[in-house]
Amino acid sequence: MKKKLGVKSGKSEQRSSHKRPRYIGALTSSIMVLFLAACGGGKNSETDGQYGRPALDPYPSTYKAYPSQTTLISGATILTATGEQIEDGSILLRDGKIVSVGTAKQVKAPRDVLRIDGEGKWITPGIIDMHSHLGVYPSPGTNSTADGNEITDPNTAEVWAEHSVWPQDPGFTRALAGGITALHILPGSANLFGGRTVSLKNVPGRTVQEMKFPGAPHGLKMACGENPKRVYKSRGPSTRMANFSHYRKAWIEAHAYNEKWKRYEKKIEKGGEGAGKADRPKQDLKLDTLAGVLEGDIIVNMHCYRGDEMVQVLDMAEEFGYEVNAFHHATEAYKIADYLAEKNVCAAVWADWWGFKLEAYDTVGANAALVHAQENGCAIIHSDDEFGIQRLNQEAAKAMDSGQEIGLDIQPKDAIAWITANPAKVMRIDEDTGTLEAGKMADVVVWSGNPFSVYAQAEKVFIDGALMYDRYDGARSPRTDFEIGQYDNQFTGGAGQ
Amino acid sequence: MKLEIFVTQNFFQGYNSMNVYKNLTLALGMFIVALGFSGKAEAQEKPTTLAIMNGQVHTIAGSVIDEGDVIIEGGRIVAVGVNLAAPSGSQIIDATGKIVTPGIIAPFSTLGLTEVSAVSETNDTRTDEKFTLGAALDAADAYNPASSLIAVNRAGGVTRAVSVPESSGFLFGGAAIMIDLSGQNNSVTKHDIARSLQLGVRGANRAGGSRIGAWGIVREMLDAAIAYANDPVGYNKDQSEGRYTIADLKSLGGVLRVEQPLLVRVNRASDIRAVIKLKNDYRLKLVIVGGSEAWREAKALAAANIPVILDPFFNLPAEFEDLSASLKNAAFLDGAGVLIAFYNPPSGSHNLRLLTQQAGNAVANGLSFQAALAALTLNPATIYGLDSEMGSIEVGKIADIVVWDTDPLELSSDPEVVIINGDIQSLQNRQNLLLQRYKDLQRGDLPFAYRGGE
Repeated sequence: MKKKLGVKSGKSEQRSSHKRPRYIGALTSSIMVLFLAACGGGKNSETDGQYGRPALDPYPSTYKAYPSQTTLISGATILTATGEQIEDGSILLRDGKIVSVGTAKQVKAPRDVLRIDGEGKWITPGIIDMHSHLGVYPSPGTNSTADGNEITDPNTAEVWAEHSVWPQDPGFTRALAGGITALHILPGSANLFGGRTVSLKNVPGRTVQEMKFPGAPHGLKMACGENPKRVYKSRGPSTRMANFSHYRKAWIEAHAYNEKWKRYEKKIEKGGEGAGKADRPKQDLKLDTLAGVLEGDIIVNMHCYRGDEMVQVLDMAEEFGYEVNAFHHATEAYKIADYLAEKNVCAAVWADWWGFKLEAYDTVGANAALVHAQENGCAIIHSDDEFGIQRLNQEAAKAMDSGQEIGLDIQPKDAIAWITANPAKVMRIDEDTGTLEAGKMADVVVWSGNPFSVYAQAEKVFIDGALMYDRYDGARSPRTDFEIGQYDNQFTGGAGQ
Repeated sequence: MKLEIFVTQNFFQGYNSMNVYKNLTLALGMFIVALGFSGKAEAQEKPTTLAIMNGQVHTIAGSVIDEGDVIIEGGRIVAVGVNLAAPSGSQIIDATGKIVTPGIIAPFSTLGLTEVSAVSETNDTRTDEKFTLGAALDAADAYNPASSLIAVNRAGGVTRAVSVPESSGFLFGGAAIMIDLSGQNNSVTKHDIARSLQLGVRGANRAGGSRIGAWGIVREMLDAAIAYANDPVGYNKDQSEGRYTIADLKSLGGVLRVEQPLLVRVNRASDIRAVIKLKNDYRLKLVIVGGSEAWREAKALAAANIPVILDPFFNLPAEFEDLSASLKNAAFLDGAGVLIAFYNPPSGSHNLRLLTQQAGNAVANGLSFQAALAALTLNPATIYGLDSEMGSIEVGKIADIVVWDTDPLELSSDPEVVIINGDIQSLQNRQNLLLQRYKDLQRGDLPFAYRGGE
């Protein structure tokens, strides 16, 4: 029987996770009690408390929004990513949040706010890239910085991408100039289980913790097909069938591990404080990640090109009682779009990349559009590329055009969700960002024109209401430590280069 | 905007009665029967005269003709102007509201040498590190006009491409060819059109790990090639000590005689200055490929008459040699008078159709629209010395022409008619056939594998 997953959302637990002890096993119970008290944490969930499971997020976000002004942008065309296109629209931002969005008449603003004339401009939610290796495969691409894939074992579920992220990757600044306000960083795809992913705010930080999206859960990167079977030939897997046997063995182990913790938690519950500490299961980093998936706390991001393989993965998820949240690089999603829609799984795809390997041979331009066209279909355009991330709007535009070519009615008001609301949903940050709605984080892009045109450029990028990038103001253009001082004043690196 | 103006025979009428997919309709271009030609029923007979009427014609050679006509006969452009009369018996292409441009020329690719990048059996783009020949390789030996990449890129408006083979072990690469994208057996336009030279960090890796080594080899080989050319019989081949072969030296003859350009792959500003010096020292015809920092040397490149084939997307320090890579590279170079064209690395041959998007981004970053169009068409022809034959819409030139539904640099644009050597091309390819097969996932009377065989 399939477990009801996703119902016990990992999200609310993740929300308070940064208040939890960093490493429970290392602390004595008395210190723990003090620590918990000081942090305001309470024993109110299975993952909390002195004998509870290992913390979900022991390297918590320290992100803080930068100061913002109350800002009214008016006279623009607004794509809300909730299916609306508003002409002569206004948006009011205050205290880092969106206060209201609507037509000029609907949005009321106090007199003393900063007013920006949006005539001729288009406004969208901040763009979100569902698949990026910025920071883990940064520029420059040297051996010193290639930290994106632990290619030493088919299962490296124990590694976490955030421990590789180099916050000084110049790619973050270029992505910002392309309107990217949040991004999901994954380990590479040489492993069946590649490790944990991390979601970031695209605000430069001295540490990765300063960039971590507050409350966003971890993901697990998994991979199908050619990559994992190519790398470990001598010890396996070397075939697709062995890929599956390795996945299944790992899930069996993960269930056994998870059961140990459940039994232990029951014991604690019955025995009360102090009971059973010696029985605490030995922590296993690899299995922690897989058990987190089984508990619904960690979202599954599966690199998978071929349609037939994706459907087998869906059966495997059924077999072991977990959810696949999105297939990434789903080149053949269009062949099985009905299966994906039925299972409520998103397909994250490129607009037109193809032919770099055999499992990417059957690309069609209308892939995203056909996934979208299914009832309940969820399409995402991702980059997987430090150049592509700078123009996800253009990639969405091409994919939309291909859909229109075959007669599908897909407009900018719909396709904008492929690079905003839909990735936010998979990353479980959709309560905070991804659409222009009152109460959400003021992650907003002002474009020079229709972002579905090749000529449009992001002119202003607000993150939590703070103006983090302005195409026409060098003081609002971040430069990484790596790039500063490399050249004369003619060129100092920076977001708009 | 669909081509309702054409009377078409639809192969797929019996199959699904769905909207006719535009490209499939166009794929039947040879069956297009123009209204002005409706008296004749033998549509299967390919007319030799085409008349593209009433389109916005971007000749590239001169100003834009707003309601212009282009007449094609015998594979060549025979008339360009306004209010021309379509010759009797010609096939008329009504381009009202459409954009007419020369076909896109991809100046640097591996088209026809690769099918699936990661499947080595399908790749003839390069030899491995241990292979003993470099400059002596010839792309023509491996060129496969049946490659599926050709039809995909043709449907994107690319009509010609230069295919450049590479040697992984040597600095000098073999003979490049120019092909047309008709996919025909006789589609090599010109053999031995250029040779290449890898410098910068990748060149250094093939030369003892440093630029010092690479430049040492470049000078040694060029000197040896000159000595060989001067006296092939008396040349003492022992002096190479196995570092290069007579075959390679012989193959550099065309470069030394300035009959063909040497495509130098280089990025860093200091390397570019060294390339300018190389040109002066050896009096070669050089073209820079890559050139991420070329804008810093724009004036010097213009003075030395060295064109740059660049990627307009490239704006990151991917290597230390790219520290000042900029989106404004194209605009700076063009502004300084450097001849520019575009390419899309790496393994970009699958998507040469995206050159137009790259050009659009160059425009968004300061390049003029007309300069961007020229960089896609006439400039590549000029780089290879073929500008009297192709690259613009002028009387006497080869008729490679694309009719677009809208601004060709826009993301929403698609070619409606692609003409190569005066022939309307099929726009059908694996991608639109797969799309046709799977766009309706309803279970049919037969499995999906039977769809598209009607």
